[in-house]
Amino acid sequence: MAELLLDPNIRLWVFLPIVIITFLVGIVRHYVSLILSSQKKIEIIQVQDSQVMIRSRLLRENGKYLPRQSFAMRRHWFNNEETGYFKVQKRAATSQNPMTDPGMMTDMLKGNLTNVLPMIVIGGWINWMFSGFLTTKVPFPLTLRFKPMLQRGVELAYLDASWVSSASWYFLNVFGLRTIYALVLGENNAADQSKIMQEQMSGAAMAMPPDPKAAFKAEWEALEITEHKWALANVENEITAMES
Amino acid sequence: MSYNYEDMTVNEIKDLLRQWRESNERRSEDVMEFWMAIMEDLDKFGNEKYVLLEQVIYAALDTHQYGIASMCIVILHEKFPGSMRIARFRAMLCEAKEKYDEALEILEEIIKADETNSAARKRRVAILKAQGLIPEAIKELVDYLKKFMSDVEAWQELCTLYQQVGEYSRAAFCAEELILHQPHNHLIHQLLADIRYTMGGVENMELAKSYYCQALKLNPDNMRALLGLFLVTNNLLNHYKSSGNSGKRKDVWRLCQWAQSSAAASQRNSQVPLTQMMLNLAITD
Amino acid sequence: MSVVTKIKDNKPEPVAYSEAALRNNAAVVEYCRTSMAALSGSTAGVLGLTGLYGFAFYVIAVVVLWLMFMMKAGSNWHKYYVSRQSLLTNGFLGALFTYVLFWTFIYGMVHVY
Repeated sequence: MAELLLDPNIRLWVFLPIVIITFLVGIVRHYVSLILSSQKKIEIIQVQDSQVMIRSRLLRENGKYLPRQSFAMRRHWFNNEETGYFKVQKRAATSQNPMTDPGMMTDMLKGNLTNVLPMIVIGGWINWMFSGFLTTKVPFPLTLRFKPMLQRGVELAYLDASWVSSASWYFLNVFGLRTIYALVLGENNAADQSKIMQEQMSGAAMAMPPDPKAAFKAEWEALEITEHKWALANVENEITAMES
Repeated sequence: MSYNYEDMTVNEIKDLLRQWRESNERRSEDVMEFWMAIMEDLDKFGNEKYVLLEQVIYAALDTHQYGIASMCIVILHEKFPGSMRIARFRAMLCEAKEKYDEALEILEEIIKADETNSAARKRRVAILKAQGLIPEAIKELVDYLKKFMSDVEAWQELCTLYQQVGEYSRAAFCAEELILHQPHNHLIHQLLADIRYTMGGVENMELAKSYYCQALKLNPDNMRALLGLFLVTNNLLNHYKSSGNSGKRKDVWRLCQWAQSSAAASQRNSQVPLTQMMLNLAITD
Repeated sequence: MSVVTKIKDNKPEPVAYSEAALRNNAAVVEYCRTSMAALSGSTAGVLGLTGLYGFAFYVIAVVVLWLMFMMKAGSNWHKYYVSRQSLLTNGFLGALFTYVLFWTFIYGMVHVY
């Protein structure tokens, strides 16, 4: 392995600036998206739908605590063929094409503005500004497969795979600093987009099903097959046994 | 409990107030005392200032200090003109002054501007209730619940209102809805059992028995549920004795004995002879 | 009142978890883990560890952090965590990425030039 000697000026003028730029851009992006984010206007019908879904789900989960009659009564109210809520409420299937909805369009635009655009612009700028530098070496050996990943912009066939080029160092930073943003900016920040996508919106009352018609149908089916099992049938014996 | 608020620094007061906010403690009189102490250095609070002002508004309304409340509202209004939240405070101020029509007008405007504003709708119910128009309040609340079906608070309020007007089967429905939402809260099980016991009849008594037992299972220290269980089993014993259902009678008898003995066990150290009282309450021997 | 969602259904005494508390605990653990990864990564970089030694150091740091959690929680750990194993293994890879970044960064700063 041929040892390379890098000019210390590269450290000061390439290696460090890339880290600092990536970090600061992440922070700026967080605050810009805070400014741009608009409070979504919610239709009352959507609120109603989501709350119905919650209630129906709770009935399925906790219905065992109700007497059989009460459970059947509620299920009837939801599922009855003629008058059941899920049967009567006709919701137009929401159009899947976001282009028809101007509100959706601006949201998408804002998302792009804060996520994709800086990534491309800063990435391109760094590629142009710091092109062709080897910046550092990862402290562990790597196979040749990693060469295109780590040595983007430096096409040297015989260079050891552990060396990292400036453009690749930028991308390493973009992905690696994510957890640090969580540390600096607090949970659920906008700089950390991937996490939000993963996280299920749990229990949020305002989270509405994207397509109420399909959701109603699914909920109707789930409720239809729910068996009622009275959870308190044996509670007297349990409680007397508990004490003694 | 009163605090010696003159000795406390602003930071201590700030922390204490935040703690109350987060744990939903009202403490209106204490809050008002603090307000007198910190009024001058309000600017030290930074962004917390506005949340604090809201807390003070609630406290001022509770203690009938309308001047302070309207002053806080004016401060907030200057900072956030056109905010729904502040409009709601104005409505609450009118409500506290018993200018109900004015308050309703403001709330009407809020709802017109934002249909999903559930807090404004609930305040409307509160106003009707304050005027003593219970049937109207019930009607309004039912309308509200048709839209916001998983609002636990609203179900609870409706349950209380139905109990007030004596519609126990409907109150029971609301209580069941509460159980669906919070199946681990022993007080709700006890509430439903209370309602079932009040309704009377063998079927309801059996249900009351089950729910009292469930409440006791979730919290063995629930004295009210224990006493309720004792009364229910007594009632059932009476019934089964006359109808001659010996199998069930034996079960209930056992449960009754158990309730009595565990009540006695937990009250052993107290002065009041509870067991004696229970026996006096009991219809059967 | 916190919303109770998960119920372990072992018959005699159903255990109810408070979701808000669970989420808070997870957030605190995540915070500790990220700090640990960053700090231990920097340490490894300053020490100039290379190759397998560096990864071994990471494993040691994770285990030490886990032991510290256990010490803090004491004998009644089940009051705070659902399982001890998942506390050790959760987020192992996510924190590894942070660790490698810091390791590379500090190693580059100190030892490459």
